[in-house]
Amino acid sequence: MKLCFVTVGATASFEKLIEQVLSPQFLETLAERRYTHLLIQYGKGGSEAFSSFANGKQSAHGLTIGGFESKPSLDEELLMTTKRGDQEKGLIISHAGTGSILAAMRIGTPLIVVPNPDLADNHQEELAQILQEQKYVVSSSVQEIRTLVVARAELQKTQIFDSHPEIQDEHAGFMSDDLGFLD
Amino acid sequence: MQFPLASVSFWDLALCLSVAIAVFGSLIGLVIFLSLEIAHNSPVPKWRPRGSPIHLLLVLGSGGHTAEMFYMLEKTYMKEFTYRTYVVSSGDNFSAGKAKAFETQRACPDDNYNIVTVPRARRVHQSYLTAPFTTLQCFWACLNVLCGLHPDQRLPKQYVTPYPDLILTNGPATAVCMALAAKLIRLFQYVSGFNSLLRSSATPRASRLRIIHFESWARVKKLSMSGVLLLPLADTFLVQWPALGGLRAWWGMKRTKYAGWLVI
Repeated sequence: MKLCFVTVGATASFEKLIEQVLSPQFLETLAERRYTHLLIQYGKGGSEAFSSFANGKQSAHGLTIGGFESKPSLDEELLMTTKRGDQEKGLIISHAGTGSILAAMRIGTPLIVVPNPDLADNHQEELAQILQEQKYVVSSSVQEIRTLVVARAELQKTQIFDSHPEIQDEHAGFMSDDLGFLD
Repeated sequence: MQFPLASVSFWDLALCLSVAIAVFGSLIGLVIFLSLEIAHNSPVPKWRPRGSPIHLLLVLGSGGHTAEMFYMLEKTYMKEFTYRTYVVSSGDNFSAGKAKAFETQRACPDDNYNIVTVPRARRVHQSYLTAPFTTLQCFWACLNVLCGLHPDQRLPKQYVTPYPDLILTNGPATAVCMALAAKLIRLFQYVSGFNSLLRSSATPRASRLRIIHFESWARVKKLSMSGVLLLPLADTFLVQWPALGGLRAWWGMKRTKYAGWLVI
């Protein structure tokens, strides 16, 4: 199984992104890249867009397509994009929501961030921008996602990610400083 | 006979009153300023033997704040903290659930924890007109929690005081209320410690209620609103992006510390 997981956040729908990832060209690209599943978390008010663009199809181009509105925790879905057992490393496409960026980076799945032009949030944009500069994520417009999936066959951002000095292994120390131990 | 007050005009009275208010206000301001300054510049007293019971209080903000808190705790050595109190805002079932899940997953489930609920300081989209009242309510509840007076609290007997040893926050408004409450209690302790100082006790005094705040990973170039408010209050202020390191509330205060990514 190789999953492409698309998440738009719980609070708003991102119709353009849903339309794009369900377009025949995009589905074909995914199939060419040996993806087997496409799962879309379409957000509040996104079910209509999802069903109309998916056209009631459960599968196309050999891809199994699924969708749901939202869940309190997406951990389970995100973990399905990691490499374990017969599961191959997949791909996450996300609106620029901080929660999903952080969750995706923690599990080390390649991430394409697509900021929603209708919803501008200053500090979210700042974060997406700096992560793009430091090559942790790939930022993209709705129209460009397909070319990104084509161009970067594997989107191996995780190798850089593994060796980055900013990630701390253990951080028990800073709490001891404030406890005032005798030794 | 003339009534003396009659000769005092309204404007004289207004002037006297405003002078009195200004003097009183600046006195209070000076006390707050000095106490914050002293608190930030005095070293942590070394008094705690290794292995003594430690009570950690964690303020769970909501959604993203709570998620970051537990991402960080996953990588923290927790065995030292023999008792944990989780503070959640009313109606935040997500945070309470996360706390329970974290406690059951921990390596040694000793069940020495408690989840207490405080009223929300400001709901999303709540008017700024009513916010001060709800914030005051939240502050009062935080004060009660710190003093162990919250009805849900039942701290084991080996803990000599109800005060937590350490307070860990990462925003938003409830964290500010908690930090203010902790500072107020510490101010009272400090002032009441003056007479014991006269009796010259050589042993360093126990220090509790110390506040560690870590700013959200999402904050890259600018502190959050709660971060700005916590800057003079937190004893240790950690940030996760280099651009936010070395900031301070004003001259002479402690600086923020760049700690790398705590949540990944």
